[in-house]
Amino acid sequence: MSLHRYELGFLLIILNIYSLGLIDAVNVTASDSAANPLQAPGYQSHGSSAVVSSPVYKPAVDSSYSINLLSSFPEDVEISEYCSELLRLFGQRYVAYVNCLIPAARPVRVCQNCSPWYNSLSEVFVNISSDQLGPGNVSCRDSILRSDRLMLVFLLYGNLDTIWEKSNCEKCVTKDFKGPNNDTLYYLTLLNQTITCFEKYKEGNHTELCKNCKNTYKELNDLYSGMEKNSTLCIDLEDSMNMTRKLWSKDFGCSYIGGETIPVIAVSSFILFLPIIFYLSSFLHSEQKKRKLIHPKRAKSHNSLMNIQDKQS
Amino acid sequence: MANITKKVSWSSRGDESGAAGEETPLLNGSEQSRPLRQSLDYDNIENQLFLEEERRMSFMAFRCLEISRWVICGLIGFLTGLIACFIDIAVEQLAGLKYKLIKENIVKFTEAGGLSISLLLWAALNSFCVMFGAIIVAFFEPIAAGSGIPQIKCFLNGVKIPRVVRLKTLVVKVVGVIFSVVGGLAVGKEGPMIHSGAVLAAGVSQGRSTSLKRDFKIFEYFRRDTEKRDFVSAGAAAGVSAAFGAPVGGVLFSLEEGASFWNQMLTWRIFFASMISTFTLNFFLSIYHNKPGDLSNPGLINFGRFESEAMEYNLYEIPLFIAMGAIGGGLGAFFNFLNYWLTIFRIRYVHRPCLQVMEAMLVAAVTATVAFVMIYFSTDCQPLGPDHTEEYPLQLFCADGEYNSMATTFFNTPERSVRSLFHNPTGTYNALTLGLFTLTYFFLACWTYGLAVSAGVFIPSLLIGAAWGRLCGILLASTTSTASLWTDPGKYALIGAAAQLGGIVRMTLSLTVIMVEATGNVTYGLPIMLVLMTAKIVGDYFQEGLYDLHIKLGSVPFLHWEAPATSHWLTAREVMSSPVTCLNRIEKVGTIVDTLSNTSTNHNGFPVVVQPAKLCGLILRSQLIVLLKHKVFVELARSRLTQRKLQLKDFRDAYPRFPPIQSIHVSQDERECMMDLTEFMNPTPYTVPQDTSLPRVFKLFRALGLRHLVVVDDDNRVVGLVTRKDLARYHVGKHGLEELHLAQT
Repeated sequence: MSLHRYELGFLLIILNIYSLGLIDAVNVTASDSAANPLQAPGYQSHGSSAVVSSPVYKPAVDSSYSINLLSSFPEDVEISEYCSELLRLFGQRYVAYVNCLIPAARPVRVCQNCSPWYNSLSEVFVNISSDQLGPGNVSCRDSILRSDRLMLVFLLYGNLDTIWEKSNCEKCVTKDFKGPNNDTLYYLTLLNQTITCFEKYKEGNHTELCKNCKNTYKELNDLYSGMEKNSTLCIDLEDSMNMTRKLWSKDFGCSYIGGETIPVIAVSSFILFLPIIFYLSSFLHSEQKKRKLIHPKRAKSHNSLMNIQDKQS
Repeated sequence: MANITKKVSWSSRGDESGAAGEETPLLNGSEQSRPLRQSLDYDNIENQLFLEEERRMSFMAFRCLEISRWVICGLIGFLTGLIACFIDIAVEQLAGLKYKLIKENIVKFTEAGGLSISLLLWAALNSFCVMFGAIIVAFFEPIAAGSGIPQIKCFLNGVKIPRVVRLKTLVVKVVGVIFSVVGGLAVGKEGPMIHSGAVLAAGVSQGRSTSLKRDFKIFEYFRRDTEKRDFVSAGAAAGVSAAFGAPVGGVLFSLEEGASFWNQMLTWRIFFASMISTFTLNFFLSIYHNKPGDLSNPGLINFGRFESEAMEYNLYEIPLFIAMGAIGGGLGAFFNFLNYWLTIFRIRYVHRPCLQVMEAMLVAAVTATVAFVMIYFSTDCQPLGPDHTEEYPLQLFCADGEYNSMATTFFNTPERSVRSLFHNPTGTYNALTLGLFTLTYFFLACWTYGLAVSAGVFIPSLLIGAAWGRLCGILLASTTSTASLWTDPGKYALIGAAAQLGGIVRMTLSLTVIMVEATGNVTYGLPIMLVLMTAKIVGDYFQEGLYDLHIKLGSVPFLHWEAPATSHWLTAREVMSSPVTCLNRIEKVGTIVDTLSNTSTNHNGFPVVVQPAKLCGLILRSQLIVLLKHKVFVELARSRLTQRKLQLKDFRDAYPRFPPIQSIHVSQDERECMMDLTEFMNPTPYTVPQDTSLPRVFKLFRALGLRHLVVVDDDNRVVGLVTRKDLARYHVGKHGLEELHLAQT
């Protein structure tokens, strides 16, 4: 029974992650519901079942309990003590990572907050999937990952791994996944400066804001463009920059708009006028080229054709 | 007989009022000189020399010939691929440089003000590039102007257009196309690629270059028109295959354009050349892109893969596709109509090289200006994608992190624009942007084709079509509430592109296969075929295809697939030229020299007769010139018995640039000598009786690649001579059979 609960719990978590990742609207609900569960009752039941399931798996580790629906297999087919320990560890860390990810979904803080969790998760998975034999000469790779059609552990890890890959987090964190690297820190400082500046002048006239925050914003923007070229960006930075740009351009309307339309129109109409002059002058001044026609030599006896031609011309 | 209407030539058709007055001096007062445009000799001259040579050749020699044919085809494919690769890389680098420069300038001036300077910079850079490209074309090799497909079509049809397959033409073509594409004109590099392949083939197969004065003493056997034509068709196929990544399309292109002379072995060889060509391009591009060995860059234009589920089509969409085909045909006909009149204007008034260069520069400047104005006033901003499909995103007045969507269509090489129209996700362009783009690009492309620059019309057509096709897709999606039915406008962009291209060039078989191969999706075969069919039918109702129009304007005696309908009542007697200058089998040298020098005999073949006027053979002008040059006179042969006998090799060495008669010196004494033509003439020329109908004669010309057809009476006496020019005069027009006058060039 508990084995089933165990699977069910994971499935629900995965479902949650999927719905979070795919639909933005749900995304918002997700972070909201995490904060005040009462506001979103429909979601709460999902979340709670996932939460409830987690304490269940500690007893579930012991394979001797899981006899409710399945009769137990002989010793050599069941997974070893070592492997089930690994599996338990995997589950714990998995939940921890997912628990970290969900609140960090909006605004995106996935890399800054959750990188260490990913690191620990992947360590376990490496252990599971390594082909070196553990204690008792067993390889958990075959027993855990490849024994059945579903390959649940592999699938689960694959999902989180895709999230990690897509978020490009390794670009922003230090080698040991402990925290943000120097580039990111520098960027975050600048970002904080800009946001502080925005906050300061937010009230009242935006022209003031545009003037005063221009330097910090520009510095930030240039830094970002530079990092974009080096491709040292992760989702956190991209998202924060997007929001800042949106604030700057759309909300505060500080982007340069308008410009000198009249000179552009003048210059372009001048250039557009040139061909007209060119064609007119070549029409008037260039001598018309005439081509000579080849006059067919025809048999004299059949000049009825020629007569028609002559008449017409 | 009265239903034949005479049509005046284009030179007086422009202003109807002055037509009658203008025409008379044109016809009567013009001095007749030998026209430069000749037919090619596709028929083997089976004279005694030929038979002797064949007898001397061993079985092994024939095997070697066959092998060397394959080697040449491989070489043609390889070199064509290399040239395509060179063009591609050069354009990418230079265009990248240009766009980077302009982009930096625009970014700088967006904030500081003074965008008109960026506009001037853009226009000046474009004009400068195009100026260079136009100068080499207008001053050095005018035949390299345009796409080159009409010229190759003519060559394969059997018309020799001077200088069309020379090394100089190739160089000018390649350099010219690079500069015109970099110069931002509405042109593509695919048409010139076909021409380049053909020139390469003609050059490689001869084993020498007259321009470089190098003779490698190889492949001498192939120095005649028949063999050269086979290789040129292989070269054209290799060019198509390199341009579009479509080897089968290339073979079918050669088949469609040169189909009258064909055999299975040749097809197989041409296919080989095509394959080698696309493979070579693939291989070298993979090295250039730092992925050596990855062979997935099949052509110059890569449409990308149409494989996603959204690209699937359904049965109910077929009528829509056909309707789009009809629109494409109509638009194509309109394009051709405008271009036709523009070309006539150009031939008449803009014929001096310096004017042509100026015109090209102006077009380049205007293209840049129009693009800039469109971008400047466009308010269509789109967020930057994560994977940066845009090569040069231009922000201009858009919010930070967004780019101007109009700029992706204009601020880019046309190939990239086509690809982004096909593949960018839904919502990348809004309807207004596409509509404006279609409108302006249509006129720009129409204006550009026919300039004195080396440039093709394939890509601009595809681009126009892709733009309005995508527009159709967007509009369809907005009319229906169930948006999921019409998910991807890229599909409609593809169909629109096919329709527009079909409406302009009117190619059928080969174009279908080229499009299918370039998209890499066979399931699109049926819609593309239907679309091209509809486009051709609708377009032909209004106006001929663009290439045919230009062939007609060039006064090329082009023989179409079939004789004009309702021409059975015309007989050889009415079609033939008469009287014909004949030569005696043993003729006085003086007479021959006089005949050749006489400007009123514009034929290149002379029937050889024995008294009384009985036909016994046919001899070509070029043969006579070689004979005169080597002084093969009866008297000299008698006096100097040791003299080397003239061989077929001597004729081949002079090929293809036979000296004019004026450069051959014949002294007064020699004029009295006699010449025996028996050995050299073609003893069995094709003849027809006087009452043969025109379609019958036409079939002989088309199927056998004839150059001269002697018309004889019942006693085998020569009464006339039919040439290609006599047949090409007749066209079916709106008022029945019409006779066209070919102009001299």
